[in-house]
Amino acid sequence: MRKVLPTLAAAVLLATAGCAGSDAGSSGPIVVGSVNALSGAATFPESSQAAKAVFDAANAAGGVNGRKIEYKAIDDKGDPAAAAAAAREVVGGDSAVALVGSSSLIECEINEKYYEQQKILSMPGIGVDPACFSSPNIAPVNVGPFHDMTLTLLYGTEVLKLDDVCALLEIAGNTLPAYQAAIGEWTKITGKKLKYVDSTVPYGGSDYTPYIVKARAAGCKAITVNPVEPDSIGQLKAAQAQGWTDVTWLLLTSVYSENYAKAISNAGAGVYVPAEFYPFTDATAAANQEWRDLMAKNKIPLTSFSQGGYLAAKYFLAVLRGMKGDITRETVTKALREMKPISDPMVGTPYVFGPAQAHHDNTAGWPIKLATGTNKWELSARDWLRIPKP
Amino acid sequence: MLQGALAGLAAGGLYAVLAVCLTLMSRLVRVVNFAQSATGMFGCYVAVFLAVHLGFPEWLATLAGIVLGGALSAVLGWIVSTWLAEADTGTRSAVTVAVLLLLISLAFILFGNKPQPFHPLLAGPAFTVGGVVVSQVTVVTVALAVLVALGCRAVLARTSLGVRLRALSERPTTAELLGIPARPLSVGVWTATGVIATLAVSIVAPSQSNDPTSLAMLVVPAAAAALLGGFRRLDLAVAGGLVLGMAQGAVAQADKLSVLRYFLPFLVIVALLLWTQRKEVWDAAR
Repeated sequence: MRKVLPTLAAAVLLATAGCAGSDAGSSGPIVVGSVNALSGAATFPESSQAAKAVFDAANAAGGVNGRKIEYKAIDDKGDPAAAAAAAREVVGGDSAVALVGSSSLIECEINEKYYEQQKILSMPGIGVDPACFSSPNIAPVNVGPFHDMTLTLLYGTEVLKLDDVCALLEIAGNTLPAYQAAIGEWTKITGKKLKYVDSTVPYGGSDYTPYIVKARAAGCKAITVNPVEPDSIGQLKAAQAQGWTDVTWLLLTSVYSENYAKAISNAGAGVYVPAEFYPFTDATAAANQEWRDLMAKNKIPLTSFSQGGYLAAKYFLAVLRGMKGDITRETVTKALREMKPISDPMVGTPYVFGPAQAHHDNTAGWPIKLATGTNKWELSARDWLRIPKP
Repeated sequence: MLQGALAGLAAGGLYAVLAVCLTLMSRLVRVVNFAQSATGMFGCYVAVFLAVHLGFPEWLATLAGIVLGGALSAVLGWIVSTWLAEADTGTRSAVTVAVLLLLISLAFILFGNKPQPFHPLLAGPAFTVGGVVVSQVTVVTVALAVLVALGCRAVLARTSLGVRLRALSERPTTAELLGIPARPLSVGVWTATGVIATLAVSIVAPSQSNDPTSLAMLVVPAAAAALLGGFRRLDLAVAGGLVLGMAQGAVAQADKLSVLRYFLPFLVIVALLLWTQRKEVWDAAR
């Protein structure tokens, strides 16, 4: 017994020392997390899949300063409680150094305060809710629905020269003020006003005919909407059933998919979207080549979501590789705060995390168009459309 | 307002068709079939799958979907009339709730949660009255509702099949003792309503948002409409469906009332229940 005790004590000491060693993080893997809508009614799995593909490729090439990246994509099930638990699992439990490539409908709003407490930074691939663009600790890679709405309105009135633009807004939670601000920004730039705003349009409605009839009766020539795919399809079909085929749709990146294009038989006078990343449906573009190859290799769908996740991981790797010394949450946070802007041909605005209190700096979209009968997205511009700086 | 009401008529026609199916089921086989529109939804989804992935021609795929909707309903009917023949209406109806949830989940698992490229059977306006557009879908669904209701009434009132069905619904045990084949007739009713519901959903689904949940939940406004006829009268079920659709359309025209739109079926259900129970003494009503 006498002999056993010291051995046991030594073993325990060794074991705890081992744990402490991995906590300090000088040789073990670098843990990076993300919180995503992987199951539930609306799922966006491609963003974290793409980020994982980037990290896997980096690991295969030797990792960062000899250390591998361990990427953990946690499901928030579209549920606030699960989103909070997911963040605590990966930030508290797994001691992630940062969150990269998240894509969720609710995550930012639920977890922004927790990230501030834990002094951890998040670089979502696709940020959706307003909190993604108003927190000091969150800086999404994408443009976001609010700047996207300003852009789509700018394109409609300034490039297509449309008058009598109306808005049908699908409001979930507290997003109305953010959309109103986006429309206000367009008014400030152009001096124009919307003919009519209906912010009572429901999410997931079955029949949108009454809202379409109302907009038509009000004299709208073009309609901007912030829809999810099925809703937008329903709205376009309602307009078609009414024989309203000369209306222009100014929509957001949320409907930019090949699936959507296939489901639309009549697009009125055209569906216009400012794509948040260089349009992935342009198969020959050099801007997307590297991303396209990596996605094809890993069998990840080509979507805006996988573009966002890919870019988030790529930016993060660039920052990580530029760091000297130990890689911990503290040093990663410092490096992101002090990083220099990174340009990429896939986006119109360079990315920088920086020390700002809010991150809503991506202000460029590439206009694309879906015409009636084509079932295919086409480029409708040769350069990025940008929101002019005030 | 009139324009809004007419815009809601397409939805109203669909509610009316489903309400007629619900009423038939309740009268003839003692079931409130909560899976009524879910079977239709599932049939449609399979039709789209056949057309898109297996290259079936559009009409054949739609036909296959309708047959499948009928078959699903028949299987469910066979199960209920075999194992729950003597059970009360509540128990028999509860089975259909399980089927409703099963079909919604199954549709998500098999077909994913991305929108499906439904090919419209009918598209565009049919005619215009004083600047108000009435779509082809509206005309067809409303006509279908009225025709189905009239047809069922004629069958029930004028044919020997109708007499046997009525006997079965009024006095099931007596009818069976008289040699009326209860199970085949019940399964027949289930099949017929399954086919009608799938046909109606097939016509309407391509013209509106068509995710599994919203299509399957069409049973709620349909139930409100059927309740107007007390789950017994076909004419009132049709009227209920049409009025409910038009009211929803009209309400959406006023910004202040618009939020009410999706609560209307529930409000109608509560109001009708209170009205029909108005003469009941509290203890007796329970």
